[in-house]
Amino acid sequence: MATVLSTPPRRLDPEDDLRRGATARLKWRTGFDRWVGYLLPLLFLIAIVPILDMIFYIAWQAVPTMSWTVVTSQADYQAYDALGVPIITSFYFISLATILSVALGIFGGIATAEFLPEWVAGWIRTSANLLAGMPSVIVGYFGYFAFVLYFGWGLSFIAGVFTLAFFMTPYVFRTADLAFSSIPRHIREAALGSGAKPAQYIVRVGTPIAFPQILTGVFLAMAIGVGETAPIVLTVTTNVLVPTGIFQPATYLTGLIWTGYAQNPGSTPYIIAFQAAFIIILVVVALNIVVRVIAARFRKRLEGLYQ
Amino acid sequence: MGSVSPDGAVSASQPLPPPTPSEGRVVRTTNYVQTAIALVPALVPAAIVVGIAVTLVLSTGFHNFGWGFFGPIFNSNANQFGMLVFIVGSFLTAVPALVLSMGIGLGIAIASTTYLPRWLTQFLDPFVDLLAGIPSVVYGIWAFVVIAPIFGLLINPWAVMHLSFLPGFASNRYSPTTAGTGLPISIFVLTLMALPITTLLIRDALRSIPKDLWESGLALGATRWEVMRRVGLRHSSRGIVSAAFLGFGRAIGETVAVAMVIGSVTKYPTNVYDVTWTMSSFMFQILDAAFGNSLYLSALAELALVLLVITLTVNIVGRRLVSHIYAEEVAGI
Amino acid sequence: MGVAIAVAIVLLIVGIAGGYFLGAGLNKSSSSTSKASLTETGSSLLYPLFTRWAANYSAATISAASTGSGTGQSDAELGLVNIGASDAYLANASATNLINTPVAISAQLIYYNLPGITAHLNLNGTILGMIYNGNITNWNDPLILAAQSPSVQTQLNGLSSETIHPIKRSDSSGDTFLFTSLCYMSWTAWPFGFSTSALTGDTIPTGATGNSGVVTALHTTTNSIGYVGISYEASANGDGLSYAAVGDNMSNSAVGGVLPANYILPSAQNISYDANLGLTHLEFNQYQLAVSLILGGSEAGAITLVKGGGGTNPSAQSPTPYPIVNLEYALIKTTPGGSTVTSANLAATVTFIQWAISIGNFATSGGGTPSAWIDQVGFIPLTPEVSGYVMQELATVQP
Repeated sequence: MATVLSTPPRRLDPEDDLRRGATARLKWRTGFDRWVGYLLPLLFLIAIVPILDMIFYIAWQAVPTMSWTVVTSQADYQAYDALGVPIITSFYFISLATILSVALGIFGGIATAEFLPEWVAGWIRTSANLLAGMPSVIVGYFGYFAFVLYFGWGLSFIAGVFTLAFFMTPYVFRTADLAFSSIPRHIREAALGSGAKPAQYIVRVGTPIAFPQILTGVFLAMAIGVGETAPIVLTVTTNVLVPTGIFQPATYLTGLIWTGYAQNPGSTPYIIAFQAAFIIILVVVALNIVVRVIAARFRKRLEGLYQ
Repeated sequence: MGSVSPDGAVSASQPLPPPTPSEGRVVRTTNYVQTAIALVPALVPAAIVVGIAVTLVLSTGFHNFGWGFFGPIFNSNANQFGMLVFIVGSFLTAVPALVLSMGIGLGIAIASTTYLPRWLTQFLDPFVDLLAGIPSVVYGIWAFVVIAPIFGLLINPWAVMHLSFLPGFASNRYSPTTAGTGLPISIFVLTLMALPITTLLIRDALRSIPKDLWESGLALGATRWEVMRRVGLRHSSRGIVSAAFLGFGRAIGETVAVAMVIGSVTKYPTNVYDVTWTMSSFMFQILDAAFGNSLYLSALAELALVLLVITLTVNIVGRRLVSHIYAEEVAGI
Repeated sequence: MGVAIAVAIVLLIVGIAGGYFLGAGLNKSSSSTSKASLTETGSSLLYPLFTRWAANYSAATISAASTGSGTGQSDAELGLVNIGASDAYLANASATNLINTPVAISAQLIYYNLPGITAHLNLNGTILGMIYNGNITNWNDPLILAAQSPSVQTQLNGLSSETIHPIKRSDSSGDTFLFTSLCYMSWTAWPFGFSTSALTGDTIPTGATGNSGVVTALHTTTNSIGYVGISYEASANGDGLSYAAVGDNMSNSAVGGVLPANYILPSAQNISYDANLGLTHLEFNQYQLAVSLILGGSEAGAITLVKGGGGTNPSAQSPTPYPIVNLEYALIKTTPGGSTVTSANLAATVTFIQWAISIGNFATSGGGTPSAWIDQVGFIPLTPEVSGYVMQELATVQP
């Protein structure tokens, strides 16, 4: 009968509702983002803790007995009292293998990036990826059967160099390919449009631009080569000799580790093994630092090109 | 400006109009001589791969093991060479390692590119890259001496106590032992070894995301995580998938480090802590014993071929997959 | 600037590599022209002794590598090295112009990790074979208990149902060869034969790489048992492991029959008695050796010293011999061929082997005890019969 006073029904303002939900959602989204930002970096620990532990463990075993004379002395290398001979041998090893793999890889990489039609380049890149992903034991088998047996080189320095070089080549190849492919198109077209022949373009324009990347690739390949064990053990064995010729046996630091760690703890080969491991780690760290320095040095030069 | 994908191909922001037939003929005269000369050095990796395959085939002596080669029983004394157990062992270690290293690598790469300040990533990234340079023999020694007891005395017993309800996590008479060798530590070591590769490649892929794409996402009000998840990962999917395949290649091919912690027993694992053997570590450790027996040597060479074929298949499948994904992207979806 | 760096690096690399090729040798005092340079590869059991010999032998430069007996045999056959060291006798060696020359006598210990038990358990080849094959699974198995002294029996019983974790070598190894020879000759139902990789197909024992790996595995795995070469005795003892006294099986007629009467602890004396016994068993008739304990089932001339088989017990003498003992062989070519086995190298190899079996085995460290280097690795010197055999073999080499 009498009209009852009632509040008019609340009209839901869609704007209101949206904004209210939106704020809540925004809070959740930003909070989630913030927490991800705290938690994801913790994953770094999974990588950092093991590597530091490994280096510490090797250093703890190796450093107390290390001295300059032990590292450089060439006497008594047969008794594994000194590292001088294996270090020099390894140096020859890696430098020759690097030269060989660079020779094989760079030309191929540039050729693939510049000269070949796309469908061929695709297959060649697949084969380079395949070689890069090849297990080291297969390369070692191949090195043994092909170089040591079929070619008749015997257990020799040169067999090991070739095997190692074949192992390192795809990394140089991919880097050269990548470096030249990622030169911005307009630079390439400008050079060719100005009348440069492809060879001129590569030498005068492409190489300076791609050079830092190729250099880092070479050093990365070296870092990988320094740490290889299986191919060396299978092709060169681990005889510690002064190599008197490329067809003589020689040894590599990783071969020393492989042999030495299985000896009596506390015996000389065992200690030498850890010292060799320590030296390899130092070399790898140095190579990584060089790579970073080059990348940083040339980052500024490249930055403007891509962005 | 176009974007640069990790594989190196440069894509234009806008597609060029197709050349008219007459234009094409004038512009694109193929220099066959040049291409032929270029093919010589370019074919080097392919030649090496073929050389490896041919050498291995020759070394098998063309023994026909038949399909029994993939049989389940391996007994060298009875000249029974069923390699299935090694293939199973390889996959049982490589696949979880791949999954773990991809997950961790993705997390590290995302953190490195989007969340951490520049100076911090420049400091932390080298540590991950350093993992790649450590000789695998050092990994093996360290894992066997330092980490295996941790697994044997702490982690495995903890898992037995708390996770037995899960299938395969219960202990049985022979595993886990307090030595700690077996599947868990092998997966741990392989994850560590595949990690630098996956992290590096994913990081490169993420870094190649064009800045304007990134900033436009942020400008629309998305958080960093959202832009990364919805735009960034999609854009760099090609690089991420190739990281997965390269990481898998590394994981399944790892020889020396795994050899020291896998336990080296020709058996199918009965639970997750059990010991087994992988193809690569078996080939490496047993070659010495096979020398006197030509049938054994042939079997090993054939096993190497199997490993080669697996690596090749994974690579080719990966490439097909990646180009399929990439095709979508280029079409402008 | 960057180009300058790169050029400098390349020059450095090329320069050093070039210097190498120009023959700017390293160790000018011992260039290859003055003395022969010999390579040895093979047995990891012989390796510690070989490095000591190599370091102290001045008439030639010798380098040793530890790659395994199989590699030693194969590389010697192919002429890739001068000396191939092997723990196993190579049958049909003459087919590839090789001769087996024993150069040392090694032994093997059985170690176990049983918390609280430091006594030396009594074990024999049958029990060991059953453990490794999975027929015996617990430490308090009746078969094991029956062989022990009463005090040890009560101790073992206290272990109730602890599973035995046997440990093997995962790489191919002469120690495995030795151990499986013992099992093969003791237990008629041993299924794995004997070889450097005989334990590959089985499913019970877990593997470790290298003798030191086995010691580590024994140390970290409770209730484990494993076989270790005698050179590693010190480190195994240092880890708190105990070794077993091994039954001679000579008084054991058949498997499951009467247990061995004698359990012998390894010691230099006991090991040398085994060597003596093993070789007086055989007929040295024009150096054609009768097969006493068969290897590979082929022709006469196979020698092994593992005392596993049953038979008459010549040990009316005491003390009785420690069973797991092995001759270490150096395989050398009889005629030169290839780039490694040159005429000069072959002559130098013969001289070295003669040195090894004389001074190498018997050089004293003062105080009258023989074999300084042999002692250091726990081996024992060759017996006179073996030395005589080696000298005759060496006479057939024509460098």
